[in-house]
Amino acid sequence: MASTGKSVKAPKSKTLRCRTLHEYLKSLSPSVLDRLYNHPSTCLAVYRELSEIAKHYVIRLLFVEQPVPQAVIASWLSKTHAKEHKEATDTLTELRVWNEASVPGGLSAWILNPIFKRNAKVALLGGGKPWSMSAKLEQDQKARDLDFLNQYALERWECILRFMVGSQQTEGISADAVRTLLYAELMKCNEGSESPVITKDGFQFLLLETPAQVWYFILKYLETVETKGLDLVECLTFLFQLKFSTLGTDYSTEGMSEKLQIFLQHLREFGLVYQRKRKAGRFYPTKLALNMATRGTLKQIREPGFLIVETNFRVYAYTDSNLKVALIGLFTELMYRFPNLTVGVLTRDSVRAALRSGITAAQIIGFLRLHALPTLATPLPPVVADQIQLWEGERERLTTTEGVLYSQFVSQADFEKLRDYAQDLGVLTWQNDKKRTVVVTKQGHSDIKKFWVHHQKGSQHS
Amino acid sequence: MGNNKRSKKDYSDKKTKRKKKEIEDETYVDDPEPLDEDGVPVAAKKNVEKDDAAVPEDEFGAKDYRTQMILKPDHKSRPLWVAPNGHIFLESFSPVYRHAHDFLIAIAEPVCRPEHIHEYKLTAYSLYAAVSVGLETHDIVEYLKRLSKTSVPDGIVEFINLCTLSYGKVKLVLKHNRYFIESPFAEVLQKLLKDPVIQDCRLRRDTEDTQVLINQADKKLKAPQFGAPSSSTTQPAAPTTDQPDLEVVVPEDISDFYNKMDKQDEKEDEDNIMKTVSFEVNQEKIEVIQKRCIEMEYPLLAEYDFRNDTHNPDINIDLKPSAVLRPYQEKSLRKMFGNGRARSGVIVLPCGAGKSLVGVTACCTVRKRALVLCNSGVSVEQWKHQFKLWSTADDSMICRFTSEAKDKPMGCGILVTTYSMISHSQKRSWEADQTMQWLKDQEWGIMLLDEVHTIPAKMFRRVLTIVQSHCKLGLTATLLREDDKIADLNFLIGPKLFEANWLELQKRGFIARVQCAEVWCPMSPEFYREYLVCKTAKRLLLYVMNPNKYRATQYLIAYHERRGDKTIVFSDNVFALKHYAVKMNKPYIYGPTSQSERIQILQNFKLNPKVNTIFVSKVADTSFDLPEANVLIQISSHGGSRRQEAQRLGRILRAKKGAIAEEYNAFFYTLVSQDTMEMSYSRKRQRFLINQGYSYKVITKLAGMDEEKSLHYGTRDEQGQLLQQVLAASETDADEERVAGELGGGGGGFRRVGGAMSSLSGADDAVYHEYSHRSSSNVKHPLFKKFRA
Repeated sequence: MASTGKSVKAPKSKTLRCRTLHEYLKSLSPSVLDRLYNHPSTCLAVYRELSEIAKHYVIRLLFVEQPVPQAVIASWLSKTHAKEHKEATDTLTELRVWNEASVPGGLSAWILNPIFKRNAKVALLGGGKPWSMSAKLEQDQKARDLDFLNQYALERWECILRFMVGSQQTEGISADAVRTLLYAELMKCNEGSESPVITKDGFQFLLLETPAQVWYFILKYLETVETKGLDLVECLTFLFQLKFSTLGTDYSTEGMSEKLQIFLQHLREFGLVYQRKRKAGRFYPTKLALNMATRGTLKQIREPGFLIVETNFRVYAYTDSNLKVALIGLFTELMYRFPNLTVGVLTRDSVRAALRSGITAAQIIGFLRLHALPTLATPLPPVVADQIQLWEGERERLTTTEGVLYSQFVSQADFEKLRDYAQDLGVLTWQNDKKRTVVVTKQGHSDIKKFWVHHQKGSQHS
Repeated sequence: MGNNKRSKKDYSDKKTKRKKKEIEDETYVDDPEPLDEDGVPVAAKKNVEKDDAAVPEDEFGAKDYRTQMILKPDHKSRPLWVAPNGHIFLESFSPVYRHAHDFLIAIAEPVCRPEHIHEYKLTAYSLYAAVSVGLETHDIVEYLKRLSKTSVPDGIVEFINLCTLSYGKVKLVLKHNRYFIESPFAEVLQKLLKDPVIQDCRLRRDTEDTQVLINQADKKLKAPQFGAPSSSTTQPAAPTTDQPDLEVVVPEDISDFYNKMDKQDEKEDEDNIMKTVSFEVNQEKIEVIQKRCIEMEYPLLAEYDFRNDTHNPDINIDLKPSAVLRPYQEKSLRKMFGNGRARSGVIVLPCGAGKSLVGVTACCTVRKRALVLCNSGVSVEQWKHQFKLWSTADDSMICRFTSEAKDKPMGCGILVTTYSMISHSQKRSWEADQTMQWLKDQEWGIMLLDEVHTIPAKMFRRVLTIVQSHCKLGLTATLLREDDKIADLNFLIGPKLFEANWLELQKRGFIARVQCAEVWCPMSPEFYREYLVCKTAKRLLLYVMNPNKYRATQYLIAYHERRGDKTIVFSDNVFALKHYAVKMNKPYIYGPTSQSERIQILQNFKLNPKVNTIFVSKVADTSFDLPEANVLIQISSHGGSRRQEAQRLGRILRAKKGAIAEEYNAFFYTLVSQDTMEMSYSRKRQRFLINQGYSYKVITKLAGMDEEKSLHYGTRDEQGQLLQQVLAASETDADEERVAGELGGGGGGFRRVGGAMSSLSGADDAVYHEYSHRSSSNVKHPLFKKFRA
């Protein structure tokens, strides 16, 4: 026999999905893609994300001016790696890095997209026009060092995260950020309440590493830029340029279009760039912009754990980070704050509050496990995990079935007749003879109704 | 107090016996009298927790102490946080854990001690206890500061000062049958003597009338330090094996101080000339003066200088060489005999951790007449047995004094009796009366109070006024009461001297490793409907008699019998107890069961391989020593009593053979009917044990139960019949044991052992050969397989 005090299942596959750069680009229309490839920075970004084999193909074809038969390309790789070959060629096709063509003799062939080819050459070999943001600048009077920029970026980003965990401190978060959070369904507005609350996806989002968070967030933001009247290609190009910029260097805003200026201001709000003043004429990229995890792998935070969960449901968090405390506060009742320790307790109420907002038991358990102090033998006592599961299970004990209520019968006999008929049909859900009420299933409703009309007619006639 | 009505010879034996039963049962009822505020010093009423209201809360609703405390730069090597509300958090994995733990257990109450971080709380009582075992205000504050990761809040320092400065200065000493108030501080005694109440209590003998105070330079005999020789070998050795002390940095100030504190007791002994002043007080007014001194903020510490007591004859009793004390037992006794005298106080050890050995050793150390008080006839027998087991005492030295066994008291060294025998205020037999008279005339060296938490303060006072004893040692497993009046004990007996850590004892194999499980039994629809409709006490009966619960019980019993385990089933409700036991054909014990029958059933349970399961009511909660039992199933209980839960767990805690082999060697099941009041009761009950580091596994479905065809109440019809029986049962059946016992009238009519007589007699063995091929002990309990993986 085995106990069924539910085992802890690994977090279900309903995890947050984040597209990679390639997946994102594939979803764009061919014309947008071609426009994007007009900029060497985009080409370089795309090239870097390609698999080794695909990179190889691109380099081999870069200076070939005529279509190359597919069979030839296939012969570059031994048959044992057909799978990799297929993947590489599919990606290149979908990204419109190359296009299908035919060589004399009817063989299908591939030729590099001329726009891509031209700009990739520039990106790899140099030349071309200077980037829009590289205009000459005078020495910044108040130059910012790396520490300052890192600090700034972190603060801006934490501000968004703190807003997500419901911290009351909302200053510093821009309306655009809130809109993006809502659009991305990382938060939602419950009916009747003003302030948005975190969702299941949002909770998972919080557990990601910062670069992954930024990429996820920016992708969602990009989906909305066109509604803001901005040009997607312009924005994307700028983003890629940012990605290849140097940390700690200032760049000029000269020659930027008005739309791009707006975009820059948004990035400033999110903490991807630093600008002392709106009209400063210069900006510094931060590590948020440089480190965006465009590969779409949603890595979870891998910093050393800081939690101890005891069998008596106490949670001890060795941290003074407001964000972490707020995160724990989503599902625990916090009791004391010491300078380097926060004491809380998991209660039925606190966990249920988290469950209500859509966070799942598996997520809470996963979080507690992941962040347990590495020195603990058991990161999370099984009892606690079981109990959290049970609390979740509690919420699912009621099932609803749709039905139709019949009430206010004139006589007991009428009531009984209808009830018995419903019972015979097997559509009776509930009945109470004192109140003379019957509930039948929705499917049974039409039959019962017919029967009832017929019955009443019959009784009127007699 | 029963003094006046004693000499009547005509009284009905039966009647008293029944009364006594009631009294015994009564001990479970939580003391209804209001908290006696007079007996508690003003400082003790102070509660640091209340000072906390002004602390700002952060945005998450937590108390924010960050502004009040400054983190020390070397906080990593220090183990504690001290919150301004008196709560202390201790890292059990800290390199200086051992130092901090010993210190904290002396000055604070443990709140919870799970695996990693322990919580303690400073209270006035705990500080009082600290002072009485010899710690001084300055040392407490200083050491606390050193151990803390942060600065210690001012409020805490103030609180410690307030609670400890006046404590422990004055001692009440009994010498040559005369009571003296003694103190090394003359000015304190002067102050006390100015008080009219104390003046009134003072006893002036003609010769000493001129002299105000008796000055005394006490040349102490060199009293051998208790356990000192052995402690030097075992004590430091044990922890060094636990932790590689060498690699971790112990801040020097901590280790220095620890060594200083550790030796403090011994030092005290070295300056064996102690200048004290004292005055004699009237024996009858001891309680008045105790109370008055408490009001004046100088609570009296009771100490007994037994080695210098030549007035009372020594009794010839020693520990047998085979009696070996475990380290924690020794430590607890060191606290008691720390300065060569015997201090009064309470020692808290989990059930099954060898409380009786501690008691016996204490008696052997004092070597004066000893009085042992316990709360039932069965435990009187067990105490006698323990004395014979561990010490050189024989039958002639041990006298039992109960309603059923009355040995001749004269000339004996150890008297074992029950609380109700002593405090009994009705008529007694002539024989009992003689014994009582003798008992009162004696000057007892030591009084052992077993299961001290169960006694209402009222009865306790009565006992203390009847019997004169030099020192009192309370023993208990759970120093807690649902009404939190445990504080009274501090001033009736003495402070808590020692409290063991359950989890640590379990890890070291001194007590059994118990798997606690809560089995959820869904209410059958019919029972649940009645439960919802029913508004009376019968609801209890409905959830206890839930057929799914019955089936789960039966399944678990069968399962564990196959494994060769010994199972005790507890039910507070007598109706259920009888129904379950009779239906399953098992013996049962409850209130009205006679003493001889109880012993017979228990003997069979211990020795007869055919009796593997017994049903008991709450009479077996305490002091039924059943070392064989390793499975406990609880089907009904006394509301949300944390104490009962801990006591019951104690029935299976005694360390089992082969303790190391299996992860768990004892099982504690609580069966609760889902969606009923039982669920919330059960949650409350578990709090104490959870705080001791136990964890309850919730089992929502016993897999394999459906395959078991032999279970009763499988069909709707059978369940319906059961429901009818329950509904037909009277209101009173739903009550718990105590009332049911009363209704039982003569009591004798009910002592029927459900059908198991043949196996009890042990006559028919051939039939039961199936037991010879029981599963071997390394078979894993599949219930917990997953848990282990």
